[in-house]
Amino acid sequence: MFDFNVCIAGAAGDGVKEAGEVLAKLFSRMGYNVFVYQEYESLIRGGHNASVVRISDRKVHAHRFYYDAMICLEDYVLKNHIERLKGFLIHDAKFECEYSNSFPVPLSEFVKEENLSFLYRNAAALGSFCHLSGVELKFLNEVFQSEYGEKSGVDVELAKIAFDYAERNFDRLMEIPAKKSQDGNVFSGSEAIALGMVDAGLEYYFAYPMTPASPVLHFLAKKKLAYAIQPESEIAAIMMAIGSAYAGKRSATGTSGGGFALMSESISLAAMAEIPLLIILAQRSAPSTGMATFTAQEDLYFSLSPAHGEFPVIVASPLTLKDSYILAGTLLNLAWKFQTPTILLTEKHMTESYENEDLDGVEVEEVDIFSSVTDDVFPRYEITESGISRFAVPPAIVKCNSNEHDEFGITTDDAKMATEMYAKRMRKEEEILKEVKKLEPYWLIKNGQDTIVTWGSNFGAVLEAAEELGYSVLGIRFLRPLILPKLGGNVICVECNYRGLLAGLIERETGIDVARVLRWDGRPFTPEEVKEELARR
Amino acid sequence: MKTSAKITWCPGCGNFGIMRAFEKAVKMIGNARVVVSSGIGCHGKIADYLKVPSFHVIHGRVPPFLTGFKLANPEMISVGFVGDGDAMNEGIEHLIHAARRNTDISIFLHNNGVFGLTTGQVTATSPKGQKGRSTPYGNPENPIEPCSLMLMSGATFVARAFAGDIQKLAQIMYDAMKHRGFSFVEILQPCVSFNNFWGIRDEIKWVERADSVQTALKLCSDKKVCGVFYQKEDETFEEAIYRIYRR
Ligand SMILES: Cc1ncc(C[n+]2csc(CCOP(=O)(O)OP(=O)(O)O)c2C)c(N)n1
Ligand code: SF4
Repeated sequence: MFDFNVCIAGAAGDGVKEAGEVLAKLFSRMGYNVFVYQEYESLIRGGHNASVVRISDRKVHAHRFYYDAMICLEDYVLKNHIERLKGFLIHDAKFECEYSNSFPVPLSEFVKEENLSFLYRNAAALGSFCHLSGVELKFLNEVFQSEYGEKSGVDVELAKIAFDYAERNFDRLMEIPAKKSQDGNVFSGSEAIALGMVDAGLEYYFAYPMTPASPVLHFLAKKKLAYAIQPESEIAAIMMAIGSAYAGKRSATGTSGGGFALMSESISLAAMAEIPLLIILAQRSAPSTGMATFTAQEDLYFSLSPAHGEFPVIVASPLTLKDSYILAGTLLNLAWKFQTPTILLTEKHMTESYENEDLDGVEVEEVDIFSSVTDDVFPRYEITESGISRFAVPPAIVKCNSNEHDEFGITTDDAKMATEMYAKRMRKEEEILKEVKKLEPYWLIKNGQDTIVTWGSNFGAVLEAAEELGYSVLGIRFLRPLILPKLGGNVICVECNYRGLLAGLIERETGIDVARVLRWDGRPFTPEEVKEELARR
Repeated sequence: MKTSAKITWCPGCGNFGIMRAFEKAVKMIGNARVVVSSGIGCHGKIADYLKVPSFHVIHGRVPPFLTGFKLANPEMISVGFVGDGDAMNEGIEHLIHAARRNTDISIFLHNNGVFGLTTGQVTATSPKGQKGRSTPYGNPENPIEPCSLMLMSGATFVARAFAGDIQKLAQIMYDAMKHRGFSFVEILQPCVSFNNFWGIRDEIKWVERADSVQTALKLCSDKKVCGVFYQKEDETFEEAIYRIYRR
């Protein structure tokens, strides 16, 4: 089996992230499966950035810990990575390096000769990589052309200069053949989320920038796939989304923990007024501003209880990139079906990782909307057995209310009405439970007696480790309502937080003891690390 | 235009006049489609009483709610009733941003100089020294002047009116709703329970609109002066968005 893990490292401003994406697209075109992990710091120039690109024959949802090759653009970042390097190193000849299997290429000189900015060293580095790894240069050129269009000439030229240099000076180390020619569709988790929402009928997206949720806004705005609007704050963002949903348009907002905290009061409003709304919560390291560009799974309980009061809410967390697409669409549909807020809980490692994927399967599930003008107030909150009332939008006389209200949306403190209206809303929870049971609330992959439970982007790394060591894997997709299979044997939960939040939830639900494999350093698990942790037990 | 909801404002409250003026203004427009949102406070109850589509939202958040609504349904005239606590304390940022965006909504500020529903504390428009339940020894803060703030924020229609002069208030509300762009009307609203200033009725002076923001700022600095201070035409937020997104 072919399985190759390349790290590109440098400073912010060196184009490390772009180089990782280009490499992923290149190998995807050649018929391989790819996964890209992006690590960067919250600064614009300097610091340590790394892009780890894994290329494999089989479908993988994780990068590996050890690198088979590395491209290094700055000397000082090498020390962060050298212990992981088990293969060859390409580095800028502007610095010396003691690593035995290294190939210096005068990248800085090439760009200087061409009078270009240092940013273009990444293109040159990829050219030399193609020679050493035995990849035809034409694939790289194709990616440059499809990515940068008319502006790709410079990248193509620099890649050629560095390829020729490598060819003259070094022997080819390996041969990576093209398996088949394909489109090379590579998406980030954010893009998958955006496309899932759009395919489920998203028309309005309001968001205030916050890493790692911002790329969803950027992507929608750039491609004009929905009205993508940046208001003055997260509070404004969610209130605007509530406004457009009240007008009958599918709307969503997205943020990370701090912004979600600000949205809390409006989530409660949406629930009380029974406004359908999807909220993307992309977790990063916390409390407070924490480590802005690093991954975490600390907001589980926050998302399950996102605001004051009791109300139905649906929370789901995608296990893979394709699942990000599916669940984003599913949750938008569910919001409209049940007229309540839904939350897509994900994390930086998912939104900013890349995989090759075909994103399809999400469709708009239409709901009836009454919008005719009549003389009477529409009974928007009619008490029904399922708890779901007919949906109406202006110009129909539809009255929504943040106060407890009667069937017409008019404020009431009446004990009987309040009892019935509250119960009506809460009855939706039973309907939601029935629906979620039909929607693969979890994935269970049987390999052995003992089970590793996990959620979110850990799934990829856990799956690989479990397959090798003979553990079953339980990946939880829907967190509220939480539906669990029967669990025998030992149960070990892998997650990125301090206390083992999902583990605690399962213990409370089932009464069984759950062992924990945890980390809270902002870094995602790799399969090797999960294996080591399990071996230690 | 009334629903069956029982009105729970104190007898003599300025809110009655505001509601009557609004009903008149809507009739003047004819078969217009109007949607209403209100904030939290006594003023917010108006949504219950009017037989129009409405959304009674949370404290201070009327402007972004209406911005989202207006973008999604540009056909409807979108009106926000807000309180001075509601829009000048909590949520003041939204009002400033709505003004600078020139989103095509009308904001009617019920300025009674107190928190009514929470029983008489001072708000951001209460004068320094005013006594309230949380400031028994006098308000230590200086007030905000809502019309100046809106003029400085780029509002394209700024006016002041008095809840006791229903005819004039209705005309100004009509002009505001007809205005293409962000319109702001400060309504001096006596609160009989906590800040009764019905006495100013005879002191109110009406002025003609100014042709510059500078002059308008001068006009509105006298709290007993009413009228449309300023109005201008500009591209609205919705128009700008549709222009960009023409797809
Ligand atoms: C977030 C939040 N904070 C505080 C309150 C309590 N509250 C209810 S009404 C009100 C004051 C409203 O004052 P104003 O806007 O002047 O309206 P009025 O009652 O005078 O019409 C406050 C603070 C609330 N409902 N929500
Ligand atoms: S407390 Fe004041 S504002 Fe509230 S209803 Fe009574 S008079 Fe009106």
